[in-house]
Amino acid sequence: MPRLSLLLLVALASCSSEPPEVEPPSPTLRRLTQVQYTNALHDLFGEQLLVSDRLEPDVAAEGLIEIGSSITTISPRGVELYEAAAFDAVAQVMDDPAWRDEVVGCTTEDTACAESFLEDFGLHAWRRPLSSDELAVWVGISDAASDELGSFHSGLQFAVAGMLQSPNFLYRVELGETDPDRSGGYRFTDYEMAERLSFLLWNTIPDDELLGAAAAGNLTNRDGLIEQTERLLADDRARHGLRTFFGDYLELYEVAHVSKDPFLFNHWSPEIGPAAEEETLRLFEDWVFDTDGDYRDLFTTKKTWVNPELAALYNVRSPVREGFDSIEFSDSDGRVGLLGHASLLAMNAHPTQSSPTLRGKFIREVVLCQPLPPPPAGLNTAIPEADQDLPTMRDRLTFHMENPACATCHAFTDPIGLGLENYDGIGRYRTVDNDFPIDPSGDFGNGEDTFDDSFGLAERIAKHEDTPNCMKTHLYRYATGHRESVGEADALIALGDDFKRGNYRVASLVVDTVLSNGFRKAGAVE
Amino acid sequence: MSKYPTRRSVLRGLLAGSVVSVGLPPLECMMNAQGTAYAGTASGFPTRFGLVFWGNGNVPDLWTPTGEGFADDWALSEQLEALAPIKHKLLAVSGMSVKVPNVLPHYSGLAGILSCAPGITTGDESTMQVPSIDQIIANEVGSQTLYGSLEVSVDGGIGNSHNGPHNVNPAEESPHALFERLFGVGFTLPGDTPIIDPKIGLRRSILDAVLNETNALSARVGAADKARLEQHLDGIRSLELRLARMEEDPPNLASCGYPTEPEASYPEIDGRPQFSAKSRAFADILVMAYACDQTRVASNWLSRPVGNTLFPGASAGHHNLTHDEPGDQPEVRAIVTQVIEEYSYFLQALDAVPEGADQTLLDHCAILATSEVSLGKTHSLDEMPLLIGGSANGFFHQDMHYRSAGQENASQVMMSLTRAMGLSLAEIGAEEGLTSDSLADIEV
Repeated sequence: MPRLSLLLLVALASCSSEPPEVEPPSPTLRRLTQVQYTNALHDLFGEQLLVSDRLEPDVAAEGLIEIGSSITTISPRGVELYEAAAFDAVAQVMDDPAWRDEVVGCTTEDTACAESFLEDFGLHAWRRPLSSDELAVWVGISDAASDELGSFHSGLQFAVAGMLQSPNFLYRVELGETDPDRSGGYRFTDYEMAERLSFLLWNTIPDDELLGAAAAGNLTNRDGLIEQTERLLADDRARHGLRTFFGDYLELYEVAHVSKDPFLFNHWSPEIGPAAEEETLRLFEDWVFDTDGDYRDLFTTKKTWVNPELAALYNVRSPVREGFDSIEFSDSDGRVGLLGHASLLAMNAHPTQSSPTLRGKFIREVVLCQPLPPPPAGLNTAIPEADQDLPTMRDRLTFHMENPACATCHAFTDPIGLGLENYDGIGRYRTVDNDFPIDPSGDFGNGEDTFDDSFGLAERIAKHEDTPNCMKTHLYRYATGHRESVGEADALIALGDDFKRGNYRVASLVVDTVLSNGFRKAGAVE
Repeated sequence: MSKYPTRRSVLRGLLAGSVVSVGLPPLECMMNAQGTAYAGTASGFPTRFGLVFWGNGNVPDLWTPTGEGFADDWALSEQLEALAPIKHKLLAVSGMSVKVPNVLPHYSGLAGILSCAPGITTGDESTMQVPSIDQIIANEVGSQTLYGSLEVSVDGGIGNSHNGPHNVNPAEESPHALFERLFGVGFTLPGDTPIIDPKIGLRRSILDAVLNETNALSARVGAADKARLEQHLDGIRSLELRLARMEEDPPNLASCGYPTEPEASYPEIDGRPQFSAKSRAFADILVMAYACDQTRVASNWLSRPVGNTLFPGASAGHHNLTHDEPGDQPEVRAIVTQVIEEYSYFLQALDAVPEGADQTLLDHCAILATSEVSLGKTHSLDEMPLLIGGSANGFFHQDMHYRSAGQENASQVMMSLTRAMGLSLAEIGAEEGLTSDSLADIEV
């Protein structure tokens, strides 16, 4: 059922009018993220490979790790870590004769065997054919190491470990070529399109069929691109790929690292952070691939995915003894949609208490793409302690509203975040704060767009036109690895229209993004 | 300019051309009478720099020492009490200001104090426009040791050691991993013969091929990527140089030995990090890394700006406490006390290692302790916390409290530190943080 609907979406997308032209900025190298590095090594050698988690750390920029990877640099420490990780991985393979022979393919243990293996390995690892000069360098290293160490496979080990330290592996080199359809313009090459597609949809290197499509020149034409997009989306690996996008967009990687006081929050544990992250990603995956739902409904759905620990935190009966399964909240559970997830509620809170300000800020900036200025540095940002006169967080935050210097910004965050006050610092439902009843009503600033509680807030978010537009913009940034330039504005507007026309189906938006000129056309290298 | 060749110039000079042969030419200016690679200092021992950094500042009223001047003329404050055993080798500097405009809470101060320049901010992310103080120093002295610099992090963050914009040296978060890296396979004790392993030469020939491919790629990319690849190339050259050095005799330093092997991990207890145990495990390793001259530059990132760690004994996250705790903030002060206890431990551990006649390793160090703000509650950049442990081979006064009468530029302290390390920079920092003056009153 889901695959059928995907095909329909592709058909729908491909029927839409010709996408607007773009003037993209100069292309930039993207370093493989830690997950991409790991996925690539699994694809090259097999899932049983243990890949080091000690790699150059990922850092977000412009709200996305995927953009951070195109701005940050490989540090001296990173060079050292990549060397160690490469040797560690290759040793696992080469020390196991059966595994080794499966990977290498030939057993003649001569230069011809080294050459044919390294040529094929290079094609997959570097996501493009090697030039004869490039191949000669690595065959030469293999031969030299083989002579020095007296073992053919030791020779291969050094060559392969070296090719994994090459910038041609560690960076996505997508620099474009002259575009025959556009005078003075550039487009991404077929092999560049192959890796753009596979990293976007699978978060890993292209498979044989995709490389074959690139070799045949099929990825620079629209029909060939649609065919491969359709194939990749229908594959289970696309679930991982799009989950990675959503986790990057919502910054869900933070959840595993939040600090919570175990004495105040006895439902929190080192395991619950990753479980909460999984819940949000599962619901997204379900929405895109199984429910095929309207993106906006993610904020109002009563469906979610829990394991026994999360069920306990939510005070609902667990559907499973272990692992995850889906549930439907009832109205009395007091919880609805993404903003009711422990992941987002715990991330946007303090170690010992909730934070309407952080929650409101997250909704403004991440969910709605409405940036706020940073707080002024010279200000005393303390809010009053809870006491008999000011028992609840709402009472204490009136300080922000009564102080004009605070109110200019907090008027845009706190009244939204107060709608989530029925959830404590880890997202557990509550009706009282310091024994006083919670008033979960709020508004979107200056008394506009009021709501009564988190259900009303969820309705407002789901109906807000910025909600789907913001997600669309983040998908575009994730796909292209940069924040959009002025020359891409029309393409983004068109994608927003496409998203709406496709009834806000995420898979449909993904196809439209791939077909957008922002994904296919390159800027001049400068 | 500096009396040392810079790391970059050494790397470029050595590695220009084809595959490097083993056996680096010893540089005359770096040798002492025994022919070991020491800096040209009076003691014959190299000068080392260290940074101990914590986030969210202090409470200046309870931090600033009483009295001014030397020895009995000044006394430690409540928050500095843990430094009593090492006061005779301490230099406390108070009343200095970060002059960089305080436009972004915590980050303006961070970039201001560590890089002496305003940071660059886009959206929610900020970076430094110029290297941080540890890397300014490592760029000059780092070529002389196996590791140009070491970075460790107690709170598990990547730290703030910057080579330049968007280029952080990620800190090691596992004491055991640091131990393995420095004292595991490949480490040679003074007097022992290094193991000559053909694999090391092969690893270097790989790096040479990678270097060539990086250069070839650099010729095809845009200006921003060229700058990124240039930094990547520095890293490749550093690793090549380190591999070459691994086959040389280690520095002949009598105090070099193995540090205590740390625990495999330091899991949280009751939701609180093992702050002290982990910090001391790192300190013990860094002491020996200096003693063995594996590096002359290290930074220990105890906690981070805006860090909201639940410290042992604290009722809320550190950052929350700085803003929300009323009165004279006893919980915030208790956290600062924990930080200073760790700094004191590090200084005392360095002082427990004899190096030369009647001297200790600490005497050949300058270990700076600082934070990105003074009073966390208001993000103040006046009254910055600045402590220096060790005289840096007699460069700094000891047992001294220097109090600035007029909130002088904190960059001047950084300038003094570069001079202590043998650099002769014309100026340090940029824009409002820029200075060409060191703080002469703290220098001997």
